[in-house]
Amino acid sequence: MPFTETEVLIVGAGILGAATARELSRYKVDVTLVEKNVDVGWGITKANVGVVNQGKDTLEFRPEYHRSHLLWRSLSMMEPLCRELDVPFRKVGGWEMCWDMKAKEKLDKLARRTESLGLGKDRFYWYPELKEMEPHVSDKILGGLHDPDIAVVNPVWLTQALVENAVHNGVHLKLGTEVLDIKPGHHWFEVRTTEGDFKARYVINAAGEWVDKVAAKVGADDFVLFPVKGYVGVLDRRLEGLVNGLVSVLPERPGEMNVIVPTVEGNLLFGIQLQINRRGDHSTTAHMARAALENARKLVPEISEKDVINEFCGFLMLRNFEIGWHECEVGMSRRVPRFVNMTIGYPGVSASPGAAAEVVEVLQKDGLELEPNPKFDPHRRGIPDFSRLSDRERRELIKKDPRYGHVICRCETVTEGEIVEAIRRGATTLDGVKHRVRAGMGRCQGGFCGPRVTRILARELGISETEVTKKGGDSAHLCCRVKELLEEERESG
Amino acid sequence: MVERVDVAVIGAGPAGLAAAVAAREQGAERVVIIERAERLGGLLPQCIHNGFGLLYFGEDLTGPEYERMFIRKAERAKVEARLESMALDISPDLEITAVGSRHGYTKIKTGAVVLAMGCREKARGALGIPGGRPAGILTAGTCQRYVNVDGFIPGRRFVILGSGDIGMIMARRLTLEGAKVEAVVEIMPWPGGLIRNEVQCLHDFGIPLLLEHTVTFIHGETRIQGVTVTRVDRERRPIPGTERFIPCDCLLLSAGLIPENELSVKAGVELDPVTGGPLVDENRQTVIPGIFAGGNVVQVHDLVDWVSWEAEVAGRNAARFADRGGIPFREEVRVRAGENIKYVVPQFISGEEEVTLHLRVTRPGLRAALLLGGKLFKRYRSVRPSEMIIEKVDVGRLSQAIGDGELRVDCRLGEEA
Repeated sequence: MPFTETEVLIVGAGILGAATARELSRYKVDVTLVEKNVDVGWGITKANVGVVNQGKDTLEFRPEYHRSHLLWRSLSMMEPLCRELDVPFRKVGGWEMCWDMKAKEKLDKLARRTESLGLGKDRFYWYPELKEMEPHVSDKILGGLHDPDIAVVNPVWLTQALVENAVHNGVHLKLGTEVLDIKPGHHWFEVRTTEGDFKARYVINAAGEWVDKVAAKVGADDFVLFPVKGYVGVLDRRLEGLVNGLVSVLPERPGEMNVIVPTVEGNLLFGIQLQINRRGDHSTTAHMARAALENARKLVPEISEKDVINEFCGFLMLRNFEIGWHECEVGMSRRVPRFVNMTIGYPGVSASPGAAAEVVEVLQKDGLELEPNPKFDPHRRGIPDFSRLSDRERRELIKKDPRYGHVICRCETVTEGEIVEAIRRGATTLDGVKHRVRAGMGRCQGGFCGPRVTRILARELGISETEVTKKGGDSAHLCCRVKELLEEERESG
Repeated sequence: MVERVDVAVIGAGPAGLAAAVAAREQGAERVVIIERAERLGGLLPQCIHNGFGLLYFGEDLTGPEYERMFIRKAERAKVEARLESMALDISPDLEITAVGSRHGYTKIKTGAVVLAMGCREKARGALGIPGGRPAGILTAGTCQRYVNVDGFIPGRRFVILGSGDIGMIMARRLTLEGAKVEAVVEIMPWPGGLIRNEVQCLHDFGIPLLLEHTVTFIHGETRIQGVTVTRVDRERRPIPGTERFIPCDCLLLSAGLIPENELSVKAGVELDPVTGGPLVDENRQTVIPGIFAGGNVVQVHDLVDWVSWEAEVAGRNAARFADRGGIPFREEVRVRAGENIKYVVPQFISGEEEVTLHLRVTRPGLRAALLLGGKLFKRYRSVRPSEMIIEKVDVGRLSQAIGDGELRVDCRLGEEA
């Protein structure tokens, strides 16, 4: 089989791979982005709380760490990036709270550190004042440190936007393409995948949960990662506004964070229960669910079990299990020339723009010629979000395309127009639609719209409804037509 | 431009159709049903089993037949239907914002509203079942639509969690389609649906019903491989050591229905935390003047006949409200759920008129006695939470039972009764 030649091959279309691809698309260089899933942003990026913090939230924040520099660099980049790509970015502010004086001392130390690092002055509010801003947190809270710069994004939306824009600017995207083997050569890597072979001068390994395994294929795995599984619960959109910003409290036990995060979509997320876990296993456990809900209720007593509409587990790839005390691995491999590893662990979303920019510089320093791409267009328009439009905008949209008047997902008010547009932009599965326009994301979890979205997918993709999958592979949503099982039975006697 | 109507009904299922017909019969000029789907009937077309209409029409009908009867009534009554149109908001002065591909974005000013949005099934997230997140997990009602309307089977080998009526009916339906139903798993010590369904859908087909069991883990990342089923103790906690693996490629959920009240809440309607439906008086008016509600949006009924009955009450009174420019919310007497009573609807009554009480017990039992205001009202051979108790109470009995602006309802079991 002939090789497909490419200058730079990026492994993994999570937020890091996508940001790097988009950054490289500013230049006249041949870039191929391969992703083993059938859609982008479905690994660590998807199972994420979407906080863009400004790098001062952890007590162990060390200025000498590479990760800190990537974060600093990213600080000013995220908001303009989201604006260019028409991705919602909400500066909500955030709290680190405490229950007692001993914990308050830690917060004081954190505030001093923040100030000494030149990251601004975070103010401590005692409970009576804090209550004015977050009226629903428990009155047992002593007080909290407020960071007005904390923001939220939807990391999957951002990744989709980055990839769409990168492809628009010339990057080749190969979905459903898993890297099987990488052979280093003097000038080229030979990369064998499930969808053919590639020859690439540079390989950027942004394989997320599997980053060290991919690195091991060429012996560039001179770093140890702990796969840490984190549990997150999703609350009904009805509770929008129960917390205004990110609310967290200093952990009382290791292995758990206690945060409640507003999302750009309106739902609240809570968690995060952590445990070192075999990678690939994204199952939730009753224990994690119980502990996370207990913690959340301690912090905001109004939250009830009834409000939990979904839950998921994702992975943090940490250099050290102790959260925060942790370094990233972003840069040229110390062992294998022209092989770049990219893994941040925490907070990966926040540091992604800076990490992508730095990797491009690393390639340039190594000798990759980067001539500006004259056709580079930094802008991308998002899919219209009918539920958030004004009366006038809704009217106009429906006039242009009546399918925007046809509500398919009633929980989230998602119209047929949005779903068709999501498919046009690359959604090929139920999850692909869900993670673009939220159909099936609401309280009934696709109970009502599932059959309708299945039908639209089949129609738009020109396939049978039995070929529609939840997330690719063997995740077919329907088994067969009615009576087919009976016929099978008859035939087999 | 704002359109004006007398009564607007949200939803065209058995409740919405009945409410609209009743409103017309009561004399309302323009009655409009706002329905999201492309046709009238709500979920009735997918309910191809029988058992509908025994009370209302005195006949044993299927869902589609029951639907036909009501659609014909609606046509004769000249009810207007606005299909493919979804109500997004109801303002306090009764202006409805609706959107649809046929009618675009519209505002309708109405004299009164009937909420008839029905209910939805509890999804996996709400049940909090641990495990992977594979394909092949769906609610019994969604499966029913796939099989009976769209013509697809979602799997070959099923486990059904929860013994609600739709789950049991689908157990039979799937078996008839050649699929294998391994078990129906129910966390409570008693089935969640009607006895007739337990007998006709499970026993007659030899499908095991595992009471006091639940699914404690879902296996599989892309397609479901099976479930771990575990026995539970009296507090419904899984008992360690009793786990067993049941392979399946589909898990159906039939573990409860939730009245669909997002629109009601947006309009400011107060809900009963137990029923999940609006607080209503005997006229089925909610706490917001001019907003009425009937059917599964108020309380999840066992029989569609009572859905229609309740919606008719709402429709009739909505027409009266529109005609007179208001009728009062009757909150003279608060109806209280006492011993072994989960809830009673309506939650408020006037005490001056005959009233029909809909109620459910918390625990099942033999030899039960229903007490109103502490006085014996009626005896039953047995009561179950899954079988709604419906009793008409005349003014005389009411006046004896009401004390201190309250009507207390209790159900004693066994010896105490």
